[in-house]
Amino acid sequence: MMDISYIIPLFVAVPLAGAFLIALLGKSIKKFPDVMGVLITLILCILSVKSVLIHNTYGILTYSAGGWNPPVGIGMVLDGLAVFMLVTVNVLAFCVAVYSVDYMEKFTAKWKFYTLFLLMLTGMNGVVITGDIFNLFVFLEIAAVASYALVAFGTEKHEIEAAFKYAIMSTVGSLFILLGIVFLYSYTSTLNMADIANVIMLQGKGNIILLVSVLFLMGFGLKAALVPFHAWLPDAHPSAPAPISAMLSGVLIKSLGVYTICRIFFNVFGINPAISSTLMFLGVLSMLVGVVLAIGQWDFKRLLAYHSISQIGYVILGIGLGTPLGIMGGFFHLFNHSVFKSLLFLNSGAVEYATGTRDLQKMGGLKEKMPLTYSTNLVASMSIAGIPPFNGFWSKLIIIIAAVEAGKFGYAFCAVLASILTLASFMKVMKYAYFGDLREKWKAVKEVPFFMKLSMVMLSLICLVGGILVFGDILQGFLGSAQEALSRGTEYAFTVLQGIK
Amino acid sequence: MAVYLLCLVLFSLGIYCILRKRNIIKIIVGVIIAEYAVNLFFILVAYRMGGRSPILSEGATIKNMVDPLPQALVLTSIVIGLATTALLVAIAMKIYEKYGTFDITKIKELKG
Amino acid sequence: MDLINLELFKIDSLSTFVGVFVGLFTLLTVIYSFGFMDKKKGLFSYYFYIILTLVASLGVVFSNDLVLFMVFWGFLGILLYLLIGVGEKPNTSKTSKKALIIVGGADALMLLGLALIWHLTGTFKMDGMRIPLNSAEAIWAYLLLAIGAFAKAGVMPFHSWVPDTAEDALTPVTAYLPASLDKLLGIYFLVRLTLNMFVMNLDMNTFLMAVGSFTIIAAVMMALIQNDFKRLLGYLAVSSAGYMVLGLGTGNFIGIAGGLFYMLNGAICMSCLFMTCGSVEKNVRTMDLDKLGGFAKIMPITFITFVIASLAISGVPPFNGFASKWMIYQGIINVGKNGGSLWMLWLVATMFGSALTLASFMKLIHAVFLGQPSPENPARKDLAGGRIPKSPLISPKSSHGDRAEHREVNPVMWVPTVILAVLCVVFGVFAYQVPLKMFILPSLKMAVNFSGTWNATLATLLMLVSIAIGIIIYFLGTITKTRETESFVGGEVLKEHPDMRVSGVELYNTVQDIKSLKTIYNMAKNKAFDLYEVVSKIVFGINKILRYMHNGILPTYLAWCLLGMGILFYVLILR
Repeated sequence: MMDISYIIPLFVAVPLAGAFLIALLGKSIKKFPDVMGVLITLILCILSVKSVLIHNTYGILTYSAGGWNPPVGIGMVLDGLAVFMLVTVNVLAFCVAVYSVDYMEKFTAKWKFYTLFLLMLTGMNGVVITGDIFNLFVFLEIAAVASYALVAFGTEKHEIEAAFKYAIMSTVGSLFILLGIVFLYSYTSTLNMADIANVIMLQGKGNIILLVSVLFLMGFGLKAALVPFHAWLPDAHPSAPAPISAMLSGVLIKSLGVYTICRIFFNVFGINPAISSTLMFLGVLSMLVGVVLAIGQWDFKRLLAYHSISQIGYVILGIGLGTPLGIMGGFFHLFNHSVFKSLLFLNSGAVEYATGTRDLQKMGGLKEKMPLTYSTNLVASMSIAGIPPFNGFWSKLIIIIAAVEAGKFGYAFCAVLASILTLASFMKVMKYAYFGDLREKWKAVKEVPFFMKLSMVMLSLICLVGGILVFGDILQGFLGSAQEALSRGTEYAFTVLQGIK
Repeated sequence: MAVYLLCLVLFSLGIYCILRKRNIIKIIVGVIIAEYAVNLFFILVAYRMGGRSPILSEGATIKNMVDPLPQALVLTSIVIGLATTALLVAIAMKIYEKYGTFDITKIKELKG
Repeated sequence: MDLINLELFKIDSLSTFVGVFVGLFTLLTVIYSFGFMDKKKGLFSYYFYIILTLVASLGVVFSNDLVLFMVFWGFLGILLYLLIGVGEKPNTSKTSKKALIIVGGADALMLLGLALIWHLTGTFKMDGMRIPLNSAEAIWAYLLLAIGAFAKAGVMPFHSWVPDTAEDALTPVTAYLPASLDKLLGIYFLVRLTLNMFVMNLDMNTFLMAVGSFTIIAAVMMALIQNDFKRLLGYLAVSSAGYMVLGLGTGNFIGIAGGLFYMLNGAICMSCLFMTCGSVEKNVRTMDLDKLGGFAKIMPITFITFVIASLAISGVPPFNGFASKWMIYQGIINVGKNGGSLWMLWLVATMFGSALTLASFMKLIHAVFLGQPSPENPARKDLAGGRIPKSPLISPKSSHGDRAEHREVNPVMWVPTVILAVLCVVFGVFAYQVPLKMFILPSLKMAVNFSGTWNATLATLLMLVSIAIGIIIYFLGTITKTRETESFVGGEVLKEHPDMRVSGVELYNTVQDIKSLKTIYNMAKNKAFDLYEVVSKIVFGINKILRYMHNGILPTYLAWCLLGMGILFYVLILR
């Protein structure tokens, strides 16, 4: 059983090695960054799918870095939730890497892009698989620093401004997380998350745990862009290059924010009604504020960025409900959102690539010139608006049913309201970007190159298949194990500690 | 207890600096101060009154040592802080290049 | 957590009935489209969408699982969006957006209804679900699901996409979706809700009747003042949906049967009317009633089918509309007999609605088919001996040929309208023998006891009397028209003086000048009653405030974060 666990550190080691190699050789060998970028993400993608199978056969796996057993050494844990997140992150990373091959031709230093991209991926994978809370902080910072640099990648006026705001706010968030970790360490004298859970169970929850909860809610909430900690997101996400926007909105806010909230509040502290209702309230608030802000935007990517806030609200609402159905819906929506939001950002990138503008008012009639972008964008819009039979519909349905089951009728109604407004704002996008008369300016517009198309088609297929697979066992098993990992709560500690011994 | 309070004061100073100063360099300095306050706090938390350095030498017992782990962690944290600061300063320089000002309230082209 | 049950589909007489007519309407629309669609681009996707619509509609009709039903139902929304998007009017994209926002938004509300049903019963199987309306959850579930049906069928206040669609979409699309298919499906679902899934009580029935009556009157009042041919028809389509809801709301057998029958008849008539309208559109580009006229002579078949359909939907015997409206009246009277209080009000609403419908059709018939052609339209050229030069309003296809092309549309286009008109007559004259016996009564499972309430002799007698009245009304209409032309006293031949014509819309414009109605009409013009516009105004208002708060200054954002943390601190620790 321990033999298989060699797979765990690979999720960190492979992209890190890739980043190193690209930084070393990328400048001199011309196609090297492209090939390496796609190859590394493909390997990770395969590994993550393999990890699903491994998890289904062997259950929770643990790995001790350097042979030092936790709680002394750094432990890595591959449980249902981690597997789920790994698949989400790496599948998305692969699609984005494929897209970048053509898209990043516009920029000069491609090797820098891929290096930073893989570093960010390292950070995200690390956050997901680590079982050590300080290690989690380190990986979180790796991913965050890489993302600051990537937001500023264009080095134009707005990119720089956005990157500065993002960096300052995110650093402040990290400070509070670190402070929380300090308090937690002072209380439990251990850093391994399973061990912390164990100690908390033995010592009972003091006030200090509540203080730490508040600090973590703020810190990770800021990373997850929950209202009122969201203000950096609509600046930062649109300013990055499109593939990075897709990564940031698609998976970064989830692995750094939502995943960590789940892991810490469910598995380490154990969920309680107060935290649960706080999460739900924050979720609903984000949902409504995000969508209302989105509907008035004219910048394509900024509109999408606000929708990320809104959709994260759904995820947090579902998870905050704490019922198995709610958690399941939340995770399903997390996966779906990362797929369709990435797709939408890639679409916006394609439009920007072809026309050079992000202003919806300047577009129009692109349906005929860019049929593939149009149809993939339609699929993604319908998914995010929750129109059947696309995947977004199912996750929203599950979340709404779960909310009603839990007796939260008001929250369920808010979810529906946000869904209507989402639909409205995406109808706006479709109308202004793709319908209407083609402008004289865009007569020469061409469809985007092959790799961009390939990536968009892959993602829209996932949107479609995700909607159909909801009936099958594959998705149930995949989501079910993630949901189970959370529902079991602090039992996590026993299972992990057992794995170590 | 007093040292902890001093730590808190330092942290508050940093946060105040981030919130109230308009010059972006000063904001960065504020971030650094707050960061160091947290690091200091981490070290202090691990300190035992009258403890000795956590080095296992011949004839010494493990009793009454300060906790060595936070020191290692703080080293990591300082490195992270360094990376962040370097990036922030680089961005600040670029901002001055593009906007011609260090005043954060004038750098507000992205809004709404 | 078994969200998906087996036994996903179920076929019973109601679903068969609706399914058969869904197929019929699809067939007729496709035939009609062969003639109507002359542009080559996007033709493949157009027919592809129509076929998908057929499949999805059949899915809606035959599915027995609410989730599966919802999938097909929601998918129809996208298809509606795409089909409207095929049109080429300047406002088409705006209209398709509006249609999907309203229909899709209602679908989202239905999701909540679905969740409530799951909460109440723990199953999604539609048969065997009998939820009594005795708790707040049950009432909300019914209302939320009914909103979906209302939006689909275009019942007020979720109607505003229908007239817009009528104006901006391609005519066969309008004839297919808002006029016929969406009516069938929307009302079908309402019937399922009302008869199978919920146990109705008096209050909910009264609510349905109120919604129905309000829709009838308000929509037909709006129709009266429209000056666009298709938009006017669109409002009449909304009004006809009101009768269906009203019929269902009566809660007694004859009323419900009448509502169902009217669903069929309304769909047939409206579809026929839109198709004839499309035939007229084929000859002229404008749909402005002011500029049309005189088409009766050049398009006799279209004219006759139009008249039949319009008389049918106005409830003039012996056409089908009368048969069903008569049943609805009886249903309302039965409500009164059983102690319902407001039945007079509903009866007056329906009668008044019928009269106004007839009035608006008189307006249409006069303005489009009878009246004098306006100087710009091609009919004038035929009537005036070709002296008027060709105008840009003539569509390119018909302008290059000889005069024969201005006559009647080709058979591919008039055959479907004739079929529908024949159905109007057959379903009217043989109301009991054909549609009621074959489709409607089996769907309600009460064929046996029904003939007692159905007084055949009285019906026939009334029909004959009504025919007489109808003829009188028709002549009265003609008299009105001659009165209108009295202003012309020069003694010359009218044809040679195009400026002396009576356009047929001015009379109806006076309706707007009635004092009490004037303010309402003005508000309606400013879209104060359009739910879509009102809600969007509110949302954009909030949006403006929130955008103002995001002022781009970093310390503000940081202050929010710290404030948020302070509140969390207070809520979680201090309290």
